[in-house]
Amino acid sequence: MAAAAASAPQQLSDEELFSQLRRYGLSPGPVTESTRPVYLKKLKKLREEEQQQHRSGGRGNKTRNSNNNNTAAATVVAAGPAAAAAAGMGVRPVAGDLSYLRTPGGLCRISASGSENLLGGPGGASAAPTAGSKVLLGFSSDESDVEASPRDQAGGGGRKDRASLQYRGLKAPPAPLAASEVTNSNSAERRKPHSWWGARRPAGPDLQTPPGKDGAVEDEEGEGEDGEERDPEAEEPLWASRTVNGSRLVPYSCRENYSDSEEEDDDDVASSRQVLKDDSLSRHRPRRTHSKPLSPLTAKSAGGRLETSVQGGGGHAMNDRAAAAGSLDRSRNLEEAATAEQGGGCDQVDSSPVPRYRVNAKKLTPLLPPPLTDMDSTLDSSTGSLLKTNNHIGGGAFNVDSPRIYSNSLPPSAAVAAASSLRINHANHTGSNHTYLKNTYNKPKLSEPEEELLQQFKREEVSPTGSFSAHYLSMFLLTAACLFFLILGLTYLGMRGTGVSEDGELSIENPFGETFGKIQESEKNLMMNTLYKLHDRLAQLAGDHECGSSSQRTLSVQEAAAYLKDLGPEYEGIFNTSLQWILENGKDVGIRCVGFGPEEELTNITDVQFLQSTRPLMSFWCRFRRAFVTVTHRLLLLCLGVVMVCVVLRYMKYRWTKEEEETRQMYDMVVKIIDVLRSHNEACQENKDLQPYMPIPHVRDSLIQPHDRKKMKKVWDRAVDFLAANESRVRTETRRIGGADFLVWRWIQPSASCDKILVIPSKVWQGQAFHLDRRNSPPNSLTPCLKIRNMFDPVMEIGDQWHLAIQEAILEKCSDNDGIVHIAVDKNSREGCVYVKCLSPEYAGKAFKALHGSWFDGKLVTVKYLRLDRYHHRFPQALTSNTPLKPSNKHMNSMSHLRLRTGLTNSQGSS
Amino acid sequence: MTTSQKHRDFVAEPMGEKPVGSLAGIGEVLGKKLEERGFDKAYVVLGQFLVLKKDEDFFREWLKDTCGANAKQSRDCFGCLREWCDAFL
Repeated sequence: MAAAAASAPQQLSDEELFSQLRRYGLSPGPVTESTRPVYLKKLKKLREEEQQQHRSGGRGNKTRNSNNNNTAAATVVAAGPAAAAAAGMGVRPVAGDLSYLRTPGGLCRISASGSENLLGGPGGASAAPTAGSKVLLGFSSDESDVEASPRDQAGGGGRKDRASLQYRGLKAPPAPLAASEVTNSNSAERRKPHSWWGARRPAGPDLQTPPGKDGAVEDEEGEGEDGEERDPEAEEPLWASRTVNGSRLVPYSCRENYSDSEEEDDDDVASSRQVLKDDSLSRHRPRRTHSKPLSPLTAKSAGGRLETSVQGGGGHAMNDRAAAAGSLDRSRNLEEAATAEQGGGCDQVDSSPVPRYRVNAKKLTPLLPPPLTDMDSTLDSSTGSLLKTNNHIGGGAFNVDSPRIYSNSLPPSAAVAAASSLRINHANHTGSNHTYLKNTYNKPKLSEPEEELLQQFKREEVSPTGSFSAHYLSMFLLTAACLFFLILGLTYLGMRGTGVSEDGELSIENPFGETFGKIQESEKNLMMNTLYKLHDRLAQLAGDHECGSSSQRTLSVQEAAAYLKDLGPEYEGIFNTSLQWILENGKDVGIRCVGFGPEEELTNITDVQFLQSTRPLMSFWCRFRRAFVTVTHRLLLLCLGVVMVCVVLRYMKYRWTKEEEETRQMYDMVVKIIDVLRSHNEACQENKDLQPYMPIPHVRDSLIQPHDRKKMKKVWDRAVDFLAANESRVRTETRRIGGADFLVWRWIQPSASCDKILVIPSKVWQGQAFHLDRRNSPPNSLTPCLKIRNMFDPVMEIGDQWHLAIQEAILEKCSDNDGIVHIAVDKNSREGCVYVKCLSPEYAGKAFKALHGSWFDGKLVTVKYLRLDRYHHRFPQALTSNTPLKPSNKHMNSMSHLRLRTGLTNSQGSS
Repeated sequence: MTTSQKHRDFVAEPMGEKPVGSLAGIGEVLGKKLEERGFDKAYVVLGQFLVLKKDEDFFREWLKDTCGANAKQSRDCFGCLREWCDAFL
């Protein structure tokens, strides 16, 4: 036997491998190149175990290992030892969970490697298939799926796994587990590692919040340990405490299974992380766990802690702890008597700082950010503070101790942390558990279904531009009005500038000195006065003229002289001098001299005939009016220009789209023609009586409906031209048919390469793929809205009206169901989605049964439920639709195949 | 045992041409590894599952060897495929 067993497996042929495996009682499948390595490994393991058993003399392994197809009972029986199950489900599931770890394969792995493979899951859990089926299947998270669970982010992937392991184990049938555990615990002592493991399992999860996780971690690490004495009975209260924790954690367990990929990635990372942690934690873990329950172990625990501090697991914290170990223990032991829960709380301190840090950081972070930051500065990690705070979880007794104990490193923060943590943690461990778990679970959980729904509708979601544009519009109007008034004011100012006479005064004064040096003072004044008067008169005249009240703008020289004379006799004499001055003065003084003609050069005052004011004096109102008018005119011109441009652009766009549309139609037509010709050709192949060509008018009449012909004439002509020019497989000829000449098309492509698409009809229902039962469809219909997928392929669809055909098909399939009120075909979806709304969930359920799993057009249709509010959000028009939809005609084209097949009206639809 | 969303999605309908990454327990990393080995579609893995006679140990072992799935991942995948077979096969 040994010799035979020693033969190298690589030289085995497939048959030999097969028979060897059979000998061990397995029933392997075919040995192919992919299964060969698996079976080889198995054979090797079996042989090793055989040898081991021979050596150790026990035959227990065999029974454990010989289990191939896991059944719950088998797994459980093979399960490793568990501590005597205390009351409560938590115990059994945890034990059962670990028992699951002892699957036949798992066992081998365990013995081989140790820690990592302990995650080798509870195959037994999966061996209870009914558990899974209790969960509603066939659902996506569209319907408010409460169970969509977020990831578990605490403690890394490894811990997650373990936690989830235990959570899953929690759901396992307790009864067989309990029985098996009892038996197994009795036989536990046989195998050192497993008994060790079993005993340590209850010891492990003394921690509360991460009890599941840490416990399993501890188990793993404890496995590597040796030589620790344990007290199996001591495990009981711990076990019980763990139970409490476990049961509390049950409701949250189901929520953490949402995403596998994250867990996987985390696993990969966490596993490496784990190894590192294991080293640091492994030593002090077991010690700590044991220290609590019994005072005799106190010394050991102290020693353990000292050791731990030596290892520097927690840095300063450990040292402090070591120093305070004695008093801590004492106080802790006092607390222990209190409750199992609190005992567990105390225990928490002892557990490794790092994972707890990770966990408690989360727990306490929302509660104690300030103290923690203080910690960070003093410690390399805030484990110390957390540990201290955890001390106070147990009871108020620690409050006094803490300042004393940790005085050397973290007095203020400790006190603060202690007080606040005490307060907070007294809100209950469950409270903290709740908050902790809630923080991690609820947010992602809520976002997941939301996210999926959002993603579903994101593409088509009509952004609420209406409200936005309204807002922008009002802003725009406001700014436009402000701008308008601004421009008005500026223009007004500009106008005003020209009408001010002060400037005139200024400008007149300046050139005085140059040209009139010889004139005396008095004359100067007189002249100035004259000029002013003239200027005023002229300005007034001009103003009147500009404002429209008078028709004369200029003042003739004679009239000016007469006016001046009226004013005073002295003005008359100076008149000519003034005129001379004006003429000589090149600058604009407000008075302009004009002769008879407009462009006449004025050299002498005798040429001057008229006087004109260059700066009309207008009333304010007149000025304002003019300004207003000017501005409005300019704005109007601007708007007009813009409008013109817009109009031109729109027109161009319109033309362009029209062209596109026509071209598309033309191509559609071309495709249709080609199809017709091809099919005709094929028909001709089979039926030699037909002519291999088709008259063009006949094709047109068969493709275009009579009422469309006139409309499509242009398109048709273009199509014909296109075919003549670009299609090589079709030849245009003239033939005489029935005495009349026709232009015909002949299909000239040899039909060897053409596909047989036409044999497969399109858009028909083709039967059902699988029977709808509880497992692949939801037990009851939740919402009245359905999303039907895989009805079409948007890439393959041609033409414009295919979505109508889809709708028709759906209606015809559900023709016995008169509760469908809205159908929407999502033409752009890659998956070929159609959205249907029914009057009530019952109708939706009927439609679901009729559609889900049916074959349509060669594709397998799937249906799922959607949330009603999401549906309405996306299709607001469905809110008001209440009338049941019916197929448009009685032909039931899409059901033709079903009818043919069954020959009778089938239950799915009626003809 | 509670199932993940991925599991439920997979088991709800025929797998058709779904990629291997749509299996429960198979994420991006594992999916790529499987694809490199030639198991690019879920139905290929289903084939392997069936060839191994739907045996949990063998299948999980195979999965571990092929793409390095850990215990949880292989468990999820196995459970997913098994349930799919129960529903559709």
